[in-house]
Amino acid sequence: MAIDELEKKLRPPEIPLKPYPSKVITLASGEKMVVREARREETGILLGTIYPLIGVSADYYDIVAARMYSEVLAWYRYRVANEFVLVGSIDGVIAGIVNSRHVTNKLGMSLHTLAIKRGLRVGAQLFAAKMEHHIDVLGEEEVYIVAESPIGFKRWMIELQLEDRSSQFPDVRSELGGVPTFVLTRKLWDAVRDVKCTGTRPVPEEDLKSANKLIMPSEYVQIPGFKR
Amino acid sequence: MAITVGIVGIGHTRFGNSSEYDLADVMAYAATDALEDAGFLERRREIDQVIVGNMASGMFCHQSAVASSLVSRMDMEPVPAELVENGPASGASAIKIGYMAVASGMADVVLVVGGEIMRKVSGWNATDIVATMLHTEAEYNMGLTLPAFGGMFTRLYMEKYGLTERDLALVAVKNHKNGAKNKYAHIQAPCTIEAISDGPEAAVVNNYIAEPLRMYSTCPVSDGAAAVLLVNMDSPKVKDFRKKPVRIAGVASATDTHCVHNRKDPLRLDAVRLAAEKAYKMAGVGPKDISFAELHDAFTILELAISEEVGFFERGTSFLAVRKGETEIDGRLPINTSGGLKSKGHPVGATGVSQAVELVRQLRGEAEEGRQVKNPRYGMSVNFGGFGNNVVALICAKD
Amino acid sequence: MIDFSMYGAKAPTIKAYKCLTCGTVYYPAPMVCGKCSARRDPVTGKGWETFDLEGSCVLLTWTRVWNLPEGYTEKYLLFGIVQFENGLRASGQLEVEEPKTGMKLNATVKESDERPGNPVNVFVFKE
Repeated sequence: MAIDELEKKLRPPEIPLKPYPSKVITLASGEKMVVREARREETGILLGTIYPLIGVSADYYDIVAARMYSEVLAWYRYRVANEFVLVGSIDGVIAGIVNSRHVTNKLGMSLHTLAIKRGLRVGAQLFAAKMEHHIDVLGEEEVYIVAESPIGFKRWMIELQLEDRSSQFPDVRSELGGVPTFVLTRKLWDAVRDVKCTGTRPVPEEDLKSANKLIMPSEYVQIPGFKR
Repeated sequence: MAITVGIVGIGHTRFGNSSEYDLADVMAYAATDALEDAGFLERRREIDQVIVGNMASGMFCHQSAVASSLVSRMDMEPVPAELVENGPASGASAIKIGYMAVASGMADVVLVVGGEIMRKVSGWNATDIVATMLHTEAEYNMGLTLPAFGGMFTRLYMEKYGLTERDLALVAVKNHKNGAKNKYAHIQAPCTIEAISDGPEAAVVNNYIAEPLRMYSTCPVSDGAAAVLLVNMDSPKVKDFRKKPVRIAGVASATDTHCVHNRKDPLRLDAVRLAAEKAYKMAGVGPKDISFAELHDAFTILELAISEEVGFFERGTSFLAVRKGETEIDGRLPINTSGGLKSKGHPVGATGVSQAVELVRQLRGEAEEGRQVKNPRYGMSVNFGGFGNNVVALICAKD
Repeated sequence: MIDFSMYGAKAPTIKAYKCLTCGTVYYPAPMVCGKCSARRDPVTGKGWETFDLEGSCVLLTWTRVWNLPEGYTEKYLLFGIVQFENGLRASGQLEVEEPKTGMKLNATVKESDERPGNPVNVFVFKE
């Protein structure tokens, strides 16, 4: 698409981001989840996957899904700066999606974690992959983290021992709602990486192939009787 | 002549997340199932006694006197009803007291219901509430929890007998395989040994809870209820029920020191051994006669340690039998055919009754395909209260 | 006269109990002596003596707990069961780099408000 002058003004400046090196994790059930970066042309599949959860009020799914939908769409439309999207898929079927922004080469802004497949810690694994990308791959020094779910957030606070910068609000705040924020620093991540983050690289040929074409889930345990 | 007591009806909710429901409703659901199973629902007001097993409705649900609420929820007034509390052994203790009511001659038909809703509160609160059964000054105040004691016991066992984390994972694989076929189980999803133990990602996928216990060596937090209808088998009323009763051959309990550090031998579970011995004596059988067992695997180490204390294996060797597959559904001595607490779930007040329901399902031949024990004669359950300081053993027989 | 020392800063202690009738020691306190059946009256304390449970001990077993109860914000805590020279055993937290069963530790006591209600005394076994 030819980018005219006005469009150029509206598009944010792009920082070239190192790609996320795909990995595969064998979940407790024995199923293999390939974690890889999503491609812009897969946006339709991502949006179609996220969309049904906008109607689920339990466990904060509605607000997380609504916000992630807009963030992914904005990424596609070049209206958000330096966002990345990681997808976890099992035999191609999307199990979870995480997204974040690379604000500067020192700062990351964690956006959302959406787990579609439940009971296998998909959310925890993808969140860890996201932090791995922020700090280990993109080289950021710290990541601002907030959440919609209080229980979910308390888990991160305790398990990661997040640094509390909420007292520096409003000068220090998360872009997500502009709220007081907590921070995962490189030091804190170093202390938990071995316990939180795992995966096999490179991804074996056949697993990579199966994850090449992403598929929207045909059922959601959060939505009994769901039909696409 | 001693009165013979049998189980003539069983009921069980799907364990899992029932936190949006009221505890008495969840218990009433299981109780109604048991009464329908027995063909006695319309005659429920003829029941002589209701006994409820529940550990901590006051803390989990901010409700007390749940036996009374249950009677009204079932529209069964004026049937007498009382609550029995014995920590996570409340369910089996409720059965024991119900048994005593029938055996005393004071009641011909007794409804026993065990239930718990644990998921209205957060996981941290649930851990704290469960920890209140520990000695306040010497254990609870230190920050200790039940998993902490599970971990410490496991470490001692590993160092003495050579048990490995992989052995614990093998038990989880077995129990999840069984639970996946159990329509009442909380978690109906098999797990693989590669994923939770052998594979390169296992250490993170199967993370530590209380070292050396991992997530797949500790049971989930669950809601649910189970119920059994007891009958005096010598009473003419026995003919009024749909099915032949399954006889309770033995039921007994024993206690041990409250503080875990004061146990005579830190690796022994004396209350388990004593309760089992009394139950065997009452039933006139020994460990070799038991066809299958439900053993309280709140922590996987307990399935192993309990199986040794009740005499199924020599001390320190049970995990060798697991390696050989002896405790699988088609093995020499199937253990936790229901999926155990690990896969079936553990609503603390319900578990003891849930174990009894499994004994009856197996003895009646009503278990799901793929997890039915062949021709069982005697089934045994052990319901573990506290960290082994109050234990109930139950033996049921198919005559 | 008033005992004004009660307003001073006092290091927290954890007490063990001794039956003066037969000399058996206990931690925590029973209400009836397991050996000679002498009663303990918590009001008068007659017939029983208390002493501080402290000092050197041996680590019998330990664990690192990652899932702590409500009220705790640490990533994990170390706990252990120890045995003192007088034979008494106790449970508590560990402040040890690399715990190993059989290692010699020193029992100290701290006051903690991590439990609901009033502050409580907690064993911390250190190297």
